[in-house]
Amino acid sequence: MKLFWLETYKTFSRWRTYISFGFIALIVILTEVVMKLSADEILYRMMRSFQKDFLIFGNVLNGWFITAFIMNSLHIHIPFLITLVAGDIVSSEATSGTMRLLLIRPPSRSKIITAKYLTALFYTTGLVIFLALICISFGLILFGSGDLIIHYETKFRIVFIPEAEVPVRMLLAFAAAIWSMTVVASLAFLFSTLAENSIGPIIGTMAVVIVFLVIGNFPFDFFRLVSPCLFTTYMIFWQRFFDDPIPWQEIGRSAMILGFHSVGLFLMAFTVFNRKDIKS
Amino acid sequence: MAGILFLLLSELIQAQEDAFRYLDPIERKYSELKDYMVDVKVHFDIETLKAPDMQAKLYFKAPDKMKVKSPKIFFFPKEGGYFNPSLFKKKEFEVKLLERLILDGKNVVRLKLTPTDTGISNKVFVLTIDTDRNLIKEIKISPSEGREIKAAIEYGMFNGFELPIRIDLQLDIPEGEPSGMREFTQFGQRAKRITGKVQITYSNYKVNSGLSDEMFKEKDSHQSKSSP
Repeated sequence: MKLFWLETYKTFSRWRTYISFGFIALIVILTEVVMKLSADEILYRMMRSFQKDFLIFGNVLNGWFITAFIMNSLHIHIPFLITLVAGDIVSSEATSGTMRLLLIRPPSRSKIITAKYLTALFYTTGLVIFLALICISFGLILFGSGDLIIHYETKFRIVFIPEAEVPVRMLLAFAAAIWSMTVVASLAFLFSTLAENSIGPIIGTMAVVIVFLVIGNFPFDFFRLVSPCLFTTYMIFWQRFFDDPIPWQEIGRSAMILGFHSVGLFLMAFTVFNRKDIKS
Repeated sequence: MAGILFLLLSELIQAQEDAFRYLDPIERKYSELKDYMVDVKVHFDIETLKAPDMQAKLYFKAPDKMKVKSPKIFFFPKEGGYFNPSLFKKKEFEVKLLERLILDGKNVVRLKLTPTDTGISNKVFVLTIDTDRNLIKEIKISPSEGREIKAAIEYGMFNGFELPIRIDLQLDIPEGEPSGMREFTQFGQRAKRITGKVQITYSNYKVNSGLSDEMFKEKDSHQSKSSP
């Protein structure tokens, strides 16, 4: 536990750790202000297929709607912010030449790598919670509260979630988002144990995420067959908490697959780190 | 030749006059209806629209002002959702009598209304009118190609006016296309259609209470030239 807090202190002492928080704050505030200024246009664009046949009254563009919208828009960008720290957490020791110093100290390698991994997860959780807090608080202040309308792309598919249910669903969705991002953090962490510098793990993780996302979204039969084998396919399972009824079985399956990925990736990193040769 | 043409033309005019014969009494029947406000409850039975029942207060002022007040989000069908007796004006439609029949023991006619100025509206209506009570019992609307909405109306008596207590809408509309890049579709795959029912029930009518024009100027008001 002491090691974990030490690692956490080290991580949060670096200014680069706060780049992600700053980026998220900037993007969220900017997005929400712009959305406030051009609310009617945004509403029209989002709901136009639905507005052909229905009149919509009430506060559709509320804080919850904005939060869901931002979550949808940022789920590709957040992994990059996570890799900034998770991909650096082990490799930075090699870069700064402190790896040997670290490993000759009394704590075992297993304890050190576990503490570092937990720190990466702590950072990931903190980042997603920060996103949730800033999105919801700023969104509710600017746009007010209300029922949540989830409109799937530009299709005629609408899910209406009553205001009373929204906070719980949001909580579950953000918890699922944390769970998803844990896989990205674990992947970056594995690459970090393999590399001697921080750029490689960051670029490597993002390359894997982007390639998997692209492959998983190509609408060709071959890629549709491959898609279930890619962890990125399950990463958006947080969206299912805004479905009606909530597909618990699908959510459980996705969470389990992602969990296996995280554990598997950590075990690989654990093994690599324990076998790391520091003598040469 | 000219004689035949004249005969055909007079037949056509006669048919139009005959068709208007069924619309005029409806217009007269509701000529004293200036405004109404009513509680509306909407129930959706559409697979792709998962929403609980919604409630609101609807305000209508003749000839075409409509406003909805709801503390929560409220969806309301654009076509066929509320009653506007002055919608079917003679000058705006070409009316054709499709058939006369007896439905549930009542004399009924079916009229086809095609807008005369397609620049304003291209919606085609098929009305089923109970000629014994001068009531529009069913409206079939084709707002644009491939879209079809059918409204079956049940009436109750309020302050001397027969007004809807329930409208059952049947939707059959094509799914909208994505706005940006079109999605890849497999060859030969047909576009999806949205079908379903919307049940609208009306209660607590207040008729001719003297609603002011100002209240319809606020946001969320609609002036519908062609929505019943």
